[in-house]
Formats: sequence, structure tokens, C-alpha cells
Amino acid sequence: MTNFTNRTDNSERILDQLEAGLPVGELPASLYGSKEIYEREKRNVFGRCWVFLAHESEIPAKGDYVLRKVGEDNFVVVRDEQGEINVLFDACRHRGVQICRADSGNTSHFRCPYHGWTYDTKGNLIGAPLWKNAFGGMDKSSNGLAGAAKVGSKHGLIFATLDPTAPSLDDYLGGMGWYLDLVFGLNEHGVEVLGAPQRFVIDANWKSGADNFSGDDYHLGTLHKSVWEIGAFPVSFQDNMMGYHIQASPGHSLSFSMAPNDDEPGPKFFGYPERVAETFTSERISEDQLNVARRSRVFVGNVFPNFSILALPMTEDGANFPPTAVLTIRTWQPVSEGKVEIWNWFCAYKNMTEEEKQRSYRAGLGTFSMGGSFEMDDTEPWITVARTGRSTAAEVLDFKLNYQMGMPGIGIGHPVDDWAGPGKAFWTRYEEGVQRNLFKFYLGMMKAEPGQWPALTFDED
Amino acid sequence: MSTQESVVNLRAEIKEWLFREAELLDDGLERTWLEDMVSRDIVYQLPLRQTVERARGAGWVEGTFHLDERYGSLNSRVARNESAYAWAEDPPSRIRHFVTNVRPVANDDGTVSVRSNLLIYRTRQDNVVPQLLSGERHDVLRREDGVLRLLERRILLDMTAIGTHNLSIFF
Repeated sequence: MTNFTNRTDNSERILDQLEAGLPVGELPASLYGSKEIYEREKRNVFGRCWVFLAHESEIPAKGDYVLRKVGEDNFVVVRDEQGEINVLFDACRHRGVQICRADSGNTSHFRCPYHGWTYDTKGNLIGAPLWKNAFGGMDKSSNGLAGAAKVGSKHGLIFATLDPTAPSLDDYLGGMGWYLDLVFGLNEHGVEVLGAPQRFVIDANWKSGADNFSGDDYHLGTLHKSVWEIGAFPVSFQDNMMGYHIQASPGHSLSFSMAPNDDEPGPKFFGYPERVAETFTSERISEDQLNVARRSRVFVGNVFPNFSILALPMTEDGANFPPTAVLTIRTWQPVSEGKVEIWNWFCAYKNMTEEEKQRSYRAGLGTFSMGGSFEMDDTEPWITVARTGRSTAAEVLDFKLNYQMGMPGIGIGHPVDDWAGPGKAFWTRYEEGVQRNLFKFYLGMMKAEPGQWPALTFDED
Repeated sequence: MSTQESVVNLRAEIKEWLFREAELLDDGLERTWLEDMVSRDIVYQLPLRQTVERARGAGWVEGTFHLDERYGSLNSRVARNESAYAWAEDPPSRIRHFVTNVRPVANDDGTVSVRSNLLIYRTRQDNVVPQLLSGERHDVLRREDGVLRLLERRILLDMTAIGTHNLSIFF
């Protein structure tokens, strides 16, 4: 069997290699660069899965809208006159012209610039110029804007799916919901975004971000070594490797940095100021969830496919300011097999003071932002992951990437059975099962026939 | 000295200052730039921009930034690049600052406001397609013990999504 081929679609062969490789911790490198794989992802992953679009605090008033993406395609996320949130395909029914030409704003209607077809904020067609002459007698109700098949929200995080056969958002998130609760639902106020998202485009594959935020803690010791030299992060690399890796449910993974004993000193509640942490209660979440949050120094996780969350104590200026909690949410928005647009929002609990929010915001900008001490190094290796992924050498040499950390007999990571939350838990963060979980569900989606869904809970495996 | 002469002198002095600054940054002498040319009271910001309808302005999002730096955080960035593990800039990017359309105005309090156009040309490794960052800088310079130093810098880029893989460079 040779890997030399003149077939135009290699995606099936690469996915077969993924299927064979996952149980032994090997991934075909071409996954990160194949054009055929990317074309299939657009349909099978981004055309079907629940994807994150916006936070409700970005569109607080009736008529507020933001322009967002599902895969490569533009959708308007708009709050209508009844206060409901709609996710509308940015394409006029008449000729497909974009109807929303700004990134954000407030409006009572969207008018196509081509012929003037005009829609309300629910997407209903309300008229067009000289209606009687042009369209008198035609049915308006069947000519509204297309919309996402389903829209859902949790803790203000707005998600949508284009697939009418998709499970509910709660079923899709599965065990991940429990962990979102203890990041976003620690008090009755909840969180809000601090301003509009940063956007920057890099020559990398979107999966590098998802892979990294599923729980790649090991890279901190090498790639991010500089942040300890400038005092940006208060926990040593070795100590920070203590904690849990969690496969919350198929596809969704996360990681906690925690001290071995829960009475050890160090940052609690991701480094939130004490005054804020005192407002965190088990009123809306369980005692177990509150305890996990209290013990956590760092939370990092990825909601399949491309929505990542990070909460941790950081500072942009270690000499003058102690670390404080930074909460960033981001999407790895695909542009092509070799380009990703990173959207990055900072969040804060609404009951934080303006000063506390500013401190958190500036610490975030100085660390997990395109000009931040952490993130500026992250994008550097991802560029060459994609270069390797699209290389002919990776294909003809059958080049495999190693994902074996924490497998039986490899390293110190091991499963634990006394974990309080849902999913599969492992102690110490020297472990890559979190990423294998991402790619196992990914494989399921990529191979699924229309209307079929891979298992959403581990019991169905 | 006539008004005309003082305007010409100021323009020459400010141009000289901006060109020296660009030379230091292009040569990778970030520490020298920070210590010699930047005020301890610096506010250095790169605000975030969106596409919005004309009636809503130029799209600058109030209070939202890509960079929002003070002297201490700029010092952190310089110190980071000096460490042995600053992968983003080791090997370093090749950077060229093109500074044009320099428009200084003397303020009543003795500071100088200056607008200038900026084009940054950046390549890494064997890239043949450069990363280009175009924009305008709104600076305020202040004389501190006779030395002109950067007190405020607002970098207004001509893009909403930024087409470079990080902002490990200085504007």
C-alpha cells in the first residue's frame, strides 16, 4: 500500500488513519493542512455543530446586532423588538447580497443595498420599493431571511447550529454544562464582556487553537517560559502541572490547575479578588461545583468545535501589579485549511467594580491577547503545524503526530474515580487524553451521515 | 524668531525625533528606546476598530484596545524580548517603520502634539509576502529636563481584523 495517489479527495484516507491512530495516540499530520479535510469540516463540523457566536451583553438593547460567523459564513445576531435573539443568514432572498454591512450597530430593519428588499429584526420580509408594481400578489411570509436551525444560550453565551437534526444545546454540551456553570455562574450577577472582540488572522489551522485549549498545559514550560521571567503568572510551571484533565463529554475537554491538597495556599477561584470571591455561592450551583471553582488556579477548556475558555490569575506588569483573574473567551474561526481568524473577548463578573474590571482587562491584554506575553508566542508554532500539515512530505512519509502523553504506562497521568463532576477525570496535567477526546468526536462528526450524530455521552460508546 | 521660523524649527526637531525613534526600533534597540525616549508617565494605546455605518463614526470602540500599555507593562514587553525564550521574536522579525506626513503642533502647556502616518513592513524567516500595518499615530511629546519624551501614543490602524500573527513589535 502506497501513499502516493492522484485522487483529488484524500479526506477519507486521512480520517481512516485518524481512526486507526487514535487508540495508540497517533494522528496523521495532514489533518492540520489537508484542503480536502477542510472542505469536509466546513460541512460536517461547522455546518452541523453548535457554535459560539456572541455574548448577550454585546446586544443588550432591542435592535442591537453584531455580525458573526458560522464556519466561513456571515450571520447577524440581533435582538428583536420582543427582546428575542435571532441568528439570521446575511444574504438577501432576492439575489443573495449581504444585508448587514457593519460589524455592530442598532437598527429596526436590514435593507439590501441592491434592490432594497427590507427585513425586520426577526428576518421577516417587510417590503421592497414599488412593491405593487414589482411583487404585488407575491407571498412575503415565505421570503424572509434564512436563519440558523436552532439558537440557544447558556450563561449569556449564544450558540447556534445550522442542522435541524442537532440535539438541544444542553444535550450537545452534555457534561461540559457542569463546568461552564462553575466558570460563568458563580453568582447571581453572572458575567459580561468587556468591549468588542479582538480579531486577528494568522497562517494556522483552526484545530491548533482547539487542541491547545483542550488542555495542553505541558507547552507552558517551554513555549511560555518567558512569562515567569517577567513575573506574569504566580504559579511555578511544575506546580501548575498538578491538577485534573477532564473529558467532560465526547468532544468537550478541559483542564484545572489545582494544588494536591485543598488547604494549600495559592490562588483560589482563578485569582478573582477576595471581595468578588466572597459573592460566589452555591445558590445556583452545587456545593461540589463551588468547591472545584474554589480550589482552581486555572481553568482552560474547549467546547467542540472552536469555542475556548480560559480563566487564570495574570498580570501584565509583575513589578507593579499582583496577578488578578483574567477571563477570556475566544473562537478559532476557520478561514481556510491554512488560515484562522482568532476572535478574543475578555469577560468580567458584573458585580466587579470598574477598577477591578479595568485591572482584569489590562492584565488580559498584556497576556492573552495578540499583543500579550503569552499569546504572542502561541501563534508562532501553530504556523508551522499547518505548514507540516499541508506538506507533501507528511503525506508521502505517512507522518504521524504523537498524542501519547498519559496513556497507560506513559508518564504519571492516571485516571481517578473520586472526581465530583461529570466525565472522565485524570490526575496531573501530564496527559493528552483531553485532546484525543476532541479528535475522537471530531472523527465521529466527519464520518457521520446527514442526520446521524456520534455518541453524545460516554455511556453510549 | 518669527512664527513661521518656529513652526519650521519645531517640524524639523520633531521629524528628527521620530526618525531616531524609528531607527532604534528597526535596529532592535528597544531598551534604549524605552529608557531614552519614553516618559515614565506614558499612555500607549492601540484601540480596537470595527466597521460601522458612516453615521456612527470611524469605528473606534470606546475603551477597547489591542494594546493598552503603561511604562511598567512596556518594560515587561522589552524584558520579555530580552529573555532567552521569547520565541515570537527569536529569530527576530525584520521590521521597517516608514514615518511620513509629520504634523506637529505646539501646545500651550509646552507639550507637542504630533500626528504622523506609519507603515510597518514586517517579514519573518523566509517570508516573501510581508505583513503590512498601516495607520496614523497621535502622539504627545513632553520635554523632561530638556529631553523630548513620548508621553502619549495612540496608534490608529487602518484595519479591523489585524493581519499579523502577534503584536510583539512596537509602533
